[in-house]
Amino acid sequence: MRFNDAVLGAVLLAFSITIGLWARSFPAIPGQEYGAAVFPTLVAVALGGCALLLILSGLRQGGGVLLFEGWARAPGGYVRILCTIALVIFYILAAKPLGFIPTMTVVLLFTLRMLKTGWLPAIAVALATAIVLQWSFGNFLQVPLPWGILSAWRF
Amino acid sequence: MSTMEAAFGLILHWNVLATIMAAALFGLFVGAIPGLTATMAIALLVPVTFFMDPVPAVGAMVACSAMAIFAGDIPGTLLRIPGTPASAAYTNEAFRMTQKGEAERALGANLLFSAVGGLFGTLVLMFTAPWLAEIALKFSSFEYFWMALLGLTCAAFIGASAPVKGLISLLIGLFVATIGLNNPAGVPRFAFGNANLMGGIDFISAMIGLFAVSEVLRTVAGGARQAPMVQASIGNLFRGWGRLLKTYWRQQLRGNILGTAIGVLPGSGADIAAWVSYAISRRFSKTPEKFGTGHLEGIVESTSANNSSLAGAWVPALVFGIPGDSITAVVIGVLYVKGLNPGPTLFLTDPQTIYAVFLIFILANLIMIPFGWGTIKLAKQILRVPSKMLMPIILAFCIVGAFATNNTVFNVSVMLVFGVLGFVMEENEIPIAPCILGIVLGPMLEQNFVTSMIKADGSFLGFFERPIAASLGVVTLLIWSWSLASYLLARQRSPHAADVQAAGRGPTKP
Repeated sequence: MRFNDAVLGAVLLAFSITIGLWARSFPAIPGQEYGAAVFPTLVAVALGGCALLLILSGLRQGGGVLLFEGWARAPGGYVRILCTIALVIFYILAAKPLGFIPTMTVVLLFTLRMLKTGWLPAIAVALATAIVLQWSFGNFLQVPLPWGILSAWRF
Repeated sequence: MSTMEAAFGLILHWNVLATIMAAALFGLFVGAIPGLTATMAIALLVPVTFFMDPVPAVGAMVACSAMAIFAGDIPGTLLRIPGTPASAAYTNEAFRMTQKGEAERALGANLLFSAVGGLFGTLVLMFTAPWLAEIALKFSSFEYFWMALLGLTCAAFIGASAPVKGLISLLIGLFVATIGLNNPAGVPRFAFGNANLMGGIDFISAMIGLFAVSEVLRTVAGGARQAPMVQASIGNLFRGWGRLLKTYWRQQLRGNILGTAIGVLPGSGADIAAWVSYAISRRFSKTPEKFGTGHLEGIVESTSANNSSLAGAWVPALVFGIPGDSITAVVIGVLYVKGLNPGPTLFLTDPQTIYAVFLIFILANLIMIPFGWGTIKLAKQILRVPSKMLMPIILAFCIVGAFATNNTVFNVSVMLVFGVLGFVMEENEIPIAPCILGIVLGPMLEQNFVTSMIKADGSFLGFFERPIAASLGVVTLLIWSWSLASYLLARQRSPHAADVQAAGRGPTKP
């Protein structure tokens, strides 16, 4: 997912302008010249400068908005990245109601299958990892991983 | 001597020793698997260390990082795929030796000189850190401001393919550090009124995202790598060690000194130490024509350098709270969590803990030899672990680790955001390490900057009034102008060379 430097620069420029303007709204400390806004403003100015340099070098470089190299030539790579992100979001939303073991098993199973692991090993690895993590982090390190629908069977 | 006794007392517990052993094995495994870096090993280890006492927690990180940097040499030598970026400098050379049937000679030298290099760096750490701490006790906000800025400068400019991109990474990190209430004025910044964001971005979750999740995304995007078969057979590793030490003592010493120095320099770590040492070894060699054909000389020097830089990086970390590389950046975060705020006062209040860390460094580099031998013997099996199974498991560890930092699912979101950010950054050749240093050093830089501005009444000249502050300031400004000048010069000389070079480089890292 290699962008043209000009595109990256434009995004960063917009971002730096946003944080620069936002920083202006921070309240000043009465009688004090250097408050909460100073440092973010400096960061915004420096970032804006770098963004301009990137835009310049990107324009000189020319070429398309997105360079298609390596995995980016086939659409499958993008789909798999989006699926992975979606799986983590699924975990964030479902872990509490469903519980750690079912949610993590689903996440692992999908990821394993996406990377072309066979069905049987995928199911075995997914279940084993989820249970071992629940046992080791949940009991041993006392991380409160949610039990959800499996509350009756907690160990 | 009582401090030393207390330090021995701290580490001579079965649970401390067992933790160190376990972390060492974990480090060897992660380091030996191509694509999993030493920093990633540390990022995955940190959530587990939350539940330990300070000494075993720090010990685990020391042992893990030393082992991972050494183990990176194994797939580099056997398969021509560096296990960690720190081994990339001499991967070709080492693989040529394997092709000539000298795999055991290359690996034996890697093991020996990694351990010796680590011990050398430790000695430097033991003798310079307490001495520097005494000087650092007299530091005011001006010196700390310059120290932090110098560290960030080095991080952004050294080792980045384009200085602008290193700087961008750094500024993103500094911005992330400003999120939340944690600033001199106590004003909520960039928090959208969100209670979780008010507390600031959790640095460990960000780190797990940047270093581990980004790698998972890269594997997912490109499809899993086939596990390659190791063809070489490995004989007796220990043969000829005495002769190696005698033949290459000069290269070894030079590698150790340079590696430690680069480690001490804030913001540059093991990978840069290895590249620079390899180049220097070739430059001063009597037989430079042999380099690249499977010649041991450069390997000795650079493998010494990358391991010695690890201990060197702890000097600024312990004395000033300024990380020497991305690994010590995490260590600093953990030290704060453990209530051991790094800085010169730590040497006064908790000397036994510091000495315990030194002892763990020595121990870790000594057990490297038997453990490393075992790993090399098992290398064929370890390298056969398929990444199509490993990467999903790593993702699971990332999720659990990010959750465990604060027991909130919010940090899993932080991890995800930074994972995507890290992935996009690396795809576009924006280095990640400066960003992580920016996040760690941001609060310190801002605090000391604002305090100094108030003290100096807004006059920038005030930053140069104290002698040490002035020298640090001049060095920082020199690095800035030197980087700018060499960038402009390179551009003037060949207006398109930089672009051609950038276009020719592949999108993924080795």
